[in-house]
Amino acid sequence: MIKFSHVSLIYPNSTTTVLEDLNLTIAEGEMVLVIGPTGSGKSSLLRLINGLVPHHTGGILAGDVSVNGLSTQLTKPGGMAHLIGIVGQNPANGFVADTVEEELAFGMEVLNLPNDVMRKRVEEVLDLLSLAPLRNRSIATLSGGEQQRVAIGAALVTHPKVLVLDEPTSALDPIAAEEVLSILHRLVHDLGLTVVIAEHKLERVIQFADRIVYINGEGVANVGTPEEILMQSPIAPPIVHLAKALGLKEIGVTVREMRRMTTQYRDIETTSTVETPPTTSKVITFEKLTVSYGDTNALNSITSEIFAGEVVAVMGRNGAGKSSLLKALAGVNQPTGGSISLLGKNPFELHGKQRRETIGFIPQEPSDLLYGQSVAIECEQADRDNELTAGTTYAVLQQLVPGISTATHPRDLSEGQRLGLALSVVLSSNPSILILDEPTRGLDYQAKNELTRMLINFSASFGKAVILATHDVELVAELASRVIFIADGDIVADGSTLDVLLSSPAFAPQVAKVMSPHPWLSVKDVVAALEGLQ
Amino acid sequence: MTKPSLHPFTWWLWAIGLAVAILRFDSTWFTVSCVGVVMVVVYTCRDNAPWAKSFDWTLKLSAWILAVRTVIGIAIGVPIPGTPIFTMPIVPLPEWMPGIRIGGTVTWERLSSSLTEGLLICSIIVIFGAAASLTSPHRLLRVLPIYIYEFAVAVVIATSVLPQLVSSVKRIRMAQRLRGQKTRGFSSWKRVAIPLLEESLARSLDLAASMDSRGYGVSKKRSRYRPISWRLKDSLVVITALGLVVIS
Repeated sequence: MIKFSHVSLIYPNSTTTVLEDLNLTIAEGEMVLVIGPTGSGKSSLLRLINGLVPHHTGGILAGDVSVNGLSTQLTKPGGMAHLIGIVGQNPANGFVADTVEEELAFGMEVLNLPNDVMRKRVEEVLDLLSLAPLRNRSIATLSGGEQQRVAIGAALVTHPKVLVLDEPTSALDPIAAEEVLSILHRLVHDLGLTVVIAEHKLERVIQFADRIVYINGEGVANVGTPEEILMQSPIAPPIVHLAKALGLKEIGVTVREMRRMTTQYRDIETTSTVETPPTTSKVITFEKLTVSYGDTNALNSITSEIFAGEVVAVMGRNGAGKSSLLKALAGVNQPTGGSISLLGKNPFELHGKQRRETIGFIPQEPSDLLYGQSVAIECEQADRDNELTAGTTYAVLQQLVPGISTATHPRDLSEGQRLGLALSVVLSSNPSILILDEPTRGLDYQAKNELTRMLINFSASFGKAVILATHDVELVAELASRVIFIADGDIVADGSTLDVLLSSPAFAPQVAKVMSPHPWLSVKDVVAALEGLQ
Repeated sequence: MTKPSLHPFTWWLWAIGLAVAILRFDSTWFTVSCVGVVMVVVYTCRDNAPWAKSFDWTLKLSAWILAVRTVIGIAIGVPIPGTPIFTMPIVPLPEWMPGIRIGGTVTWERLSSSLTEGLLICSIIVIFGAAASLTSPHRLLRVLPIYIYEFAVAVVIATSVLPQLVSSVKRIRMAQRLRGQKTRGFSSWKRVAIPLLEESLARSLDLAASMDSRGYGVSKKRSRYRPISWRLKDSLVVITALGLVVIS
């Protein structure tokens, strides 16, 4: 169905090739997963399939990519529209209509399909993706998961033979992600659709993939079955790391397989020791906190306390009120009701230096904080703001993400490096509280490990409080000491990470699912517990 | 679907009509009342869409333009005789620039003439800003004929990106306030402008890529899923504007 023959790709003004001599044939009805570190060229590979690269982005392409016999060298992306449905990284940017129904119809309108065909297909797709209740809703009012489903629906409605998705679940909570992926799985099996998908959160997709393309960032791409590739690649989901840590001969890619292989480890008895965390001073108290937008309440009168040295993960569905809570704590908006106290101060009234020293906030788009023309200018500005000796911020950055050249423009940094820069700018003023809003969007495993290490270090060695909103269960398992779970503006669970994560199977990390009923959340926990026995 | 809205061309035709009428009347009272009517129309008719919120910024922008235009108008230019209000020191200029002077006596006539001229420019901006905030750029795309598709893509991207800029500005200013930076004054704009430009460029490219890969403009004919029709309401709105053009 899709054929890459001797494909090499290089972008102008770049010294490294993105792909070098890639040969790959994808058969009809296959589900292929593309993995690799951030910035390695996953998106480029996906966009080569319908010719957006190089027709839309520029760049020099050698070799040939053809889909169903149509070469992208001779056909422009528009001419492939009936063959390929493509869903970009950020579906909200690609919408061309106001309501769900009109968005679904757009692709067929431009292909000039007759009206009765369009009506039938719109109904079909509405049912297939359970979008029927949303058909007349304005797209701007939908949640992230719903928008993703609309984007997939809009791509499917022209009955393409190939569906290409770039990180379809990165902004979704675990349950919404599961929903989207199982729909894709069904399409592959029911309709023989060919699916090519790029994703960082392997634990979510690996069980559905037939083959993996691993791009290592230096132009080399390996192709193989999930087991073959994951055995060697440094990028692997937690269960593969578990298999490696336990020294198993084979690796399993699903929880079921891994449970069968690890029976012997689960039979052993362990004595669970419950550590009571040392009591520290309160840094944040909020009482009866209410935030409302117009008529709807984002938070209904919630009360809690956060202590120094804690890493608190705020979890919940898309649109549950996580961001509203973080923004209220950071003092972006005056809450509608209730009170917040950060070390005895009202966050809404903090300004300038005092604010920087009390609270650091990393928004969903870390680049919102950055405006310098280079890393050096950015670091100097932070030094000046905080009256530090020149070079302090850059030293912090070197510690967080080594090897960033000072002359680089922040835009040219990878996602993880940019987060590192924003973080070091914020940390240079040494705030008592650090708040991060979904920091792991688009981060690969390596960058995530770095972030975990940095944050644990920050909270443990200086006794600072860290609060982060995230959908990433695996990150929470590694990093957080406490979880606050929000649903519809209410706190439904608030307790230690172990208690909250193990109480719901949907939010349990993979290792916990494999090792249940033992209370182990991560590979580290398992290894430590087993070593304790010997 | 809340209420069937007007045809996407309606408000644009209405705006063109009003603009022509204002330019032909050339009367301050007429201009001011037109702007007033436009404001009332926008605040009663706009819905809750992202582009609807851009009108407040249009107003701020035009107020700023009016202020700058007036200050420059009274400070630089050919003196107009009349009732003096106050006198500023005259900046000496070289001999080869006769007839132009900076500073000097400011008269009522000079103040009112620069205010009128500024008001004219601002009213046009406000009127077209109103049309942009009342019309969904996505619906506009659907009615634009396909054979001018490159032009149509550009128009739609421009009209849909501009209002989104407004929400991005809010988000970026919030982030920078949290970094403890001042968000007022000229230097803060530089800090907002860079992330803003980057983001709007990325957004526009995404939208163009999405339209391209969905086959926009490949077929010169286009079918209609739910045709947008021109109704009596639309004619009435346009006739009010045309009426003003005729009597002007």
